Order: sequence, then structure tokens, then C-alpha cells
Amino acid sequence: MLIRLTGGDVVDPVNAATAKRDVWIRDGLLVDAPKGATADETHDVSGCIVMAGAIDIHSHIGGGNVNTARLLLPEHHRAHQPRPANTPLSNAGWSTFQTGTLYAQMGFTTVVEPAMAPYTALHTHLELADIPIIDKATLAILGNDDFTLSLLRNGKSSAMLDDYVAWVIGSTRALGVKVINAGAAAAFKENVRSFSLDDTVPEYGVSSRKIVKSLQASVTRLGVPHPLHVHANNLGIAGSADTAAATIAATEGVPLHLAHLQFYGYGTEGKRKFSSEAARLAEAVNANPDVTIDIGQVMFGQTVTISSDVMRQYLAIGNASPKKTVILDGDGNGGGGIVPYRYKQDYYGSLQWAVGLELFLLITDPWRVYFTTDHPNGAPFTAYPELFELLMSSNARDAKSTELNATALGLTTLASVRREYTLEEIAIMTRAAPAKLLGLKDRGHLGAGAIADVAVYRKGRDIAKMFREAALVFKNGDLVVKNGKVTHYRWGKTLRLNPPPDKAMVKRMQAYHEERYGLSLDWFTFPDSAIQRPDPFAEVIS
Amino acid sequence: MSVAWVGSQPVPLTDAVRNAAKLLASSRCPVFTLDADVHGTRSAIALAERLGGAYDHAAGDVLAKEVALFTDHGGMFTMPGEARRRSSLIVIVGEIPVAHHELLQAWAGSQPDLGDKHKRTWFHIDGTETIEADKLARKLKAIPLGADGLSLPAVLGVLRAGLQGQRIAASLTNIDRFRKALTTAQFPVFVFSGTSGETAGLVMLQGLVADLNKTGRASSVFLPADDDAWGTALTSLWMTGFPPRTGFSNSLPSYDPGRWDIQRMIRDKEADLHVWMSTRGGETPPRGGKIPLISLSKTNSPTSGAKITISVGKAGIDHDGVSYSSRTGTFRAVQAAQPSELPSVSSIVGQLAQALPGRKALPC
Repeated sequence: MLIRLTGGDVVDPVNAATAKRDVWIRDGLLVDAPKGATADETHDVSGCIVMAGAIDIHSHIGGGNVNTARLLLPEHHRAHQPRPANTPLSNAGWSTFQTGTLYAQMGFTTVVEPAMAPYTALHTHLELADIPIIDKATLAILGNDDFTLSLLRNGKSSAMLDDYVAWVIGSTRALGVKVINAGAAAAFKENVRSFSLDDTVPEYGVSSRKIVKSLQASVTRLGVPHPLHVHANNLGIAGSADTAAATIAATEGVPLHLAHLQFYGYGTEGKRKFSSEAARLAEAVNANPDVTIDIGQVMFGQTVTISSDVMRQYLAIGNASPKKTVILDGDGNGGGGIVPYRYKQDYYGSLQWAVGLELFLLITDPWRVYFTTDHPNGAPFTAYPELFELLMSSNARDAKSTELNATALGLTTLASVRREYTLEEIAIMTRAAPAKLLGLKDRGHLGAGAIADVAVYRKGRDIAKMFREAALVFKNGDLVVKNGKVTHYRWGKTLRLNPPPDKAMVKRMQAYHEERYGLSLDWFTFPDSAIQRPDPFAEVIS
Repeated sequence: MSVAWVGSQPVPLTDAVRNAAKLLASSRCPVFTLDADVHGTRSAIALAERLGGAYDHAAGDVLAKEVALFTDHGGMFTMPGEARRRSSLIVIVGEIPVAHHELLQAWAGSQPDLGDKHKRTWFHIDGTETIEADKLARKLKAIPLGADGLSLPAVLGVLRAGLQGQRIAASLTNIDRFRKALTTAQFPVFVFSGTSGETAGLVMLQGLVADLNKTGRASSVFLPADDDAWGTALTSLWMTGFPPRTGFSNSLPSYDPGRWDIQRMIRDKEADLHVWMSTRGGETPPRGGKIPLISLSKTNSPTSGAKITISVGKAGIDHDGVSYSSRTGTFRAVQAAQPSELPSVSSIVGQLAQALPGRKALPC
């Protein structure tokens, strides 16, 4: 099957090929214009923008905590159904089916679930396999489990840590590794209520810094394309900017990805002791090429916060709206907290909104800043179209600012920042850079040989509308969306690294689980066939 | 050996599937009783959606109570593995299903290796006692914590008030020993189930756990009344956004534990076809209601009263599958222990979908 998209304005920064030109698809892949060939199918995309399919590197779309949020909040889902376009609030209840549908309709074709607890990996993959259309990937959580902490306490070799990290990545079918408030979940079980970068986990005497540095080095030594994905300490509290700055300063030449930086962009100035430190953090990021970040933008309305940072979530119970929560002290790296929350246009909400935008606009290199709302923590992913508009239009930001708390905005630089993202920068931030960060050479661009994940947007003055309803979306060359609606369902794959397990480590894991849990290792691992879809996984060669 | 029957007559499987599909296609309001592994459940929910039906689990009543704890309140929980490794003080709350007794006894035979690492102490909060609960308490050498004549929610209420230092109307046996145990245990854990009591009692328990966390740490382990039922609830949540007692009206799922209580729907003649699935064997469909029945059950004879019976296997026995396990508090891949020719629920449901008008495959 040869498909031709003709007449569109192609935005393809990777190949320096942003121009009005045709795009050709043959059998699921992008190809150069074939000489003398006639397309089997031609789509006139005149007046449209053509980009590679978008990639979301950090969105909580499946797994135990996401499912618990559904269980906790059935009323949100119910409220959403009759009027989905008007209630971008109810994603807590969204089914796997709706997740794939709604992402595809916005032109997203690959999404990373960034917090997979190793012991519940099968659950996560069962959910991801039921998300239609898009490809998925996961990051396995490490850094709070007894095995890792014991290795560090006992001064075991870095080779042994590497074998363990590789075993976790392989057995959980992950694409990378994430550390969440390193050591805090283990410390919380011992009644520690606050935890910073140089605090130590009581039972192990290991600092959070040491955990992060050790895992960062291990991921790098193993050649995992995605740098260690770090959810730092002290998320969401006034003064958290100091923690983020210290974490950024600690990279020492080794790559590190800092997640949802907006939630660390807070200082202690002003009457309410809650101010913006976004400019300082942006400067720190700009000055440190080891660091990439995603934002975790806050948008207004009801959502639910879902995090494996169980200490932080426990401390947030008092802010729950509605007043019901789940706090789970999980095994090792599992667990977390589900706290529903409504972002109001008050002082605090306004400041958080502005901090996210400041970071977006003050970090200068679009290859190192990633477009996320930390779905659903800052906002549901369906708020993306409105966020694109805010980034691309200073007038849109000004207009929204008039509705918000002036005192809060006055403590930020937002009004003075007039930068507007270009389409080229949007394509870098949401396509090219994520593919590079994740090591996915086959996507994120429109060059020959890439998989034919293509999003076509009808140009218009209403930027949000343009990105909300893609005119056409192709996934692996299949036309899946027309005029903002899914027209064809297919099943994507979950992308994984597949490092071979070290035999000695497997034996060690067998002994560990039998001794500590009284269960054989096969209770915690699973064969690919457990997913019961044809070829549910695809290997990424690092 | 026959695996399919129309009425009491053995028939080829294809004939049974064709006849069942005819019943499904002509039904105005089919209801589905689920009892299968994850993949059987996924396929059954997809079929219910296709047909505009409603579904519940065979253990729907107790499951609804467990679900209500989460939908109405939430709570603080830990995993079975973490309790085994970390908790030196475990409190059994009310009656725990027999299926979990072996797990608890295994904990009793082990020593915590994390946290305070003290020798484990057990308490049992009494409610209305049963022989099985007494037997478990004796095996665990659990210290009783209760008062004559008080229900479980009342005992929990009195205990909660007493631990807060409030004046209490009744005295609980061994409350001083329990207070003392709390002072040395770093991570006390309360083990409960849907069989422990009504939702109000479970909410009271979570209030008690929340109180203890104001100054120290404590948590609870939820052992579902039925592991397969809880697995069905989790599967239903990701597939539709809702737990069981969900129906598809206007093609959208809606959750309503009253409206979509399918036993009520059968009794009140709102449903006109009942698809009863039961892979555990030896079960019979609930009595009451006189609507046509399609039975997909592990049986070697036709189900009494069923228009169609198709024998199916159980995941982990007859075929591979994925089931929820309270041992780990999550899903587990299970291999066939005694592989048989019996088809899986998901394969039969897939055939039913293909035999419906339109012959469209299910997404699961």
C-alpha cells in the first residue's frame, strides 16, 4: 500500500525538512518520494500542518495506582461521559479504551507510563495492552526497595547493582528506570515524615543522594538510552526549588531527567511564603547540559493526583477534594497515594500555573524541555490543546492571566516573557526530542525509514482546536483518525528494552524471594504469553 | 465426553454456540454473571458491551461491600508481602475467609526481617464469632479484643475512642495488652476482608488506622472475600472505568450498584437472558427468576434449567491464564496444572461474538 499526503506544510526539524512537500508511506513506513509510482491512496492535506506522531514521555495511563483512582472516583467518570468536550476533568475514571482513543485524536502515537512498580508489572502491561491504537512504554521504579537499599548499605559492587537493574528492566518489560523520592517510601514506613536529598533511610543508613547517584550511574553504565528519570524529594512544598536546584547541580556530567519540574518551582517569598523560583530553576537547567526536564503543567479544574511518592501523598490528604483518598505502603517500590484535587484559580493555583509556563518559556532549548502535565497530576492530558495555545500565543496567556490571582502572578516573571513557541519548536518538544530521549530512532521525525506515525492538523487561528482534533492521524501507516474522530482501531505495542538477565542474579532473586516472601520467583514474573495479544511487546535496540 | 448441551441433550460445540448466539441476539436485556480469570472477564465484558448488557460477579454482594469501602471512603493499605516482612503486630478483624487462613499461618511461621523485627504478636477483634474465625484465632494464638454483645463496628468504635483517650461506654477485653503492644510495634497491620463486616465497620476500621498514623505508622491488609471476584473488579475498572454492577446503556458504561444488581434484575424481570459463567466447578446458578439461562461452567453435565450449557476450563488448572492472588496483592500468571481439552471462557465468548449477526470479533 502506497499512501501520499500531498500539499501539506511539513514540520520535520530532525531532517531539516520543514517545507511544503509531500509525505509518502509504504507498508507502514515513511519512504522518499518514489519515482514514477502512483499512490494507492492520496490525501490532499493542503492548508494543513504535517508532523510526526507526538510522543508523551510522562503520563500515568495504566497500572495499579491509576486503577485505584478509577475505583476511588467512579463519580468523576460518570460526570464526564455525557459531555466529554466540556469536562476535561474526569480522566480519573477513563478506561484504557478511552485513553487510546483520546490520545490518538490529538495526534499522539506513543505514550510512556512513567511509574511501573516492578511487582505489579503484569497488571500494568495488561492495562497497556488494552489501550488501543498507540504504542506504549514503561519506566520501572527503583530506589525504595529493600534489595537496592541493602546493596548500597552493604557496599556491594556496582556490577551487582547493574545486574539487578538489568534484571528488573528485563523482567518487567521496561524501557527505562525511574526513581521516586529516593528512599522516602522506605523511610515513611519507619515514620519519617519529611525527606530531603541528604537525609538517610533509617534502616539502611543510605542517603537519597546516594540512591539517585548510584542508579544514575548504573543506568548510564548499562547503556539504557533514557537517563535515570528522577522524581526528586520535597515535591510540591514551598522551598522545593532548593531541592530541585541541588538535584540539578548533582549530575556531575552524567545525564539525568528531572520529572515535572513545575512541582519544584516554589520558593518561600511573599506573604503566603509560596512564590515562584521558576526563573532560577530555568537558569540552572539552561546552564547544565546533563539535565532534561518535563514540566507537569497545572491547568485549572478537577483532577486526581496519582503518585508513588507515598510520603508526599500522605501529607496531602488534608487537601483532598472530594475527601477520600487511598494511601498504599507497597512492597519495595510499589505503593503510593491517590488524592483527588481541584486546582482553583486562587493564589496557589495561579502561581503553580504561572510557574509551569515560566519554565516552558525560560528554558531556551526545546530539546531539553518536555511537554507534560504529569497526567493526571497537573491536569488531564486532554488539557494539552489549551496548553499548546498558551505556549504559542502570548495574547492567550495575557487573556487567561486576567482571570487569575494578580498577587500570585505579580510574584512571577510571566507577564514579561513574550516568547511564543513556533511550530518547529513544538515539533521538537513533542516529537523529535522525546524520541531522542527515549532512544526511539524509528519515530519522532518524517524521514525515510521511520515508522509512519503521522499527525495532520488543519491550520486555523484557534490553536487549541487545531491540536484537539487532528485532521488525519496515521499509526504505522494505518489511517486511524479522520477529522478528530477515531475511524479505525488497532493494537499498538509496548516498547521495551530486553537486556539478557545475569544468571547469578536470577539465582539470587530466586533465593531472595523464597526467603523473604516465602514465594518462588515465578509469583513475581510472567511470560509474554500472559498478555494474550499477538506480539504485545516490541524490542528497542539500545 | 460431551462439553456442550442444548437443554439436556449433548450437541457438538458449534451447535451450542450457534444456539447460544441466537438467544443473545434476540435478547433485549442480557445480564452476565462473571467468574473467570482476567482474560475470561475481559472477553465477557466486551461481549456485554456489544450486546448492551449488564454484568456482576458471582460473589457480587460481598464484592459490592468491598468496592463501597473504596468508592465511598478509601483508606490506608499495605501489601501482604510487606505485612509479612515488616509487621510485628497483626490484628485480625472479624472473619477472614478460609481461603486466606493458610497465608496468615505462613506469616505466623515467619519472623519480620524489616522494621522493628520483633517476634510477631496477634490480636483478633471479635465481632459475631463463627467456628472458623475461632479456629483461626486459636491457630494464630491471637489475643481476643472485644466485648460480649458488641458487634464488630461497635467494637471498632469503642477501640478507636479508647485509643484516643475518650471515655468509653464498654470495656474491651485485653485492651491494655493491645495498648502496650502498640507502643512497641513500629508498623501494626489490621487484616480485614469483605466478610469482616458491613461497609460501615470497614470505614470505622480505616478511621482507626488513620488515627494511629497521626503520630506513628499503621496500615491495613485487604484480603478480598474472593480473589477471583476482586480480579474481576480490577479488570472491569480498566476496561470500563467502573467496578462490576456496570451496564451499558446507550453504548456507554454506567455504574450503579442498585440498578445493575443483576440478581435483582432477574428477580424483577428487567433482564430477559442470563449468561452464567463459573469456572471454579461444583457451583450452581442462583435460584430465583425464570429467564432463559446460558451456562458457561466447569461441568461434565448440563446445568439444571439451562437452555444451553458449555463446559469451560479454569485458568491455572485446565489452561494458562492470569488471576488475582492475595498472596502478592496483584495479578499472577498461572500455568495449567492439569491441561485439558476444556475451552477457556475467553475462547467460547470469542466464538459467541463471531456467531452473532455481523460476525465481528471482540477487542479482547
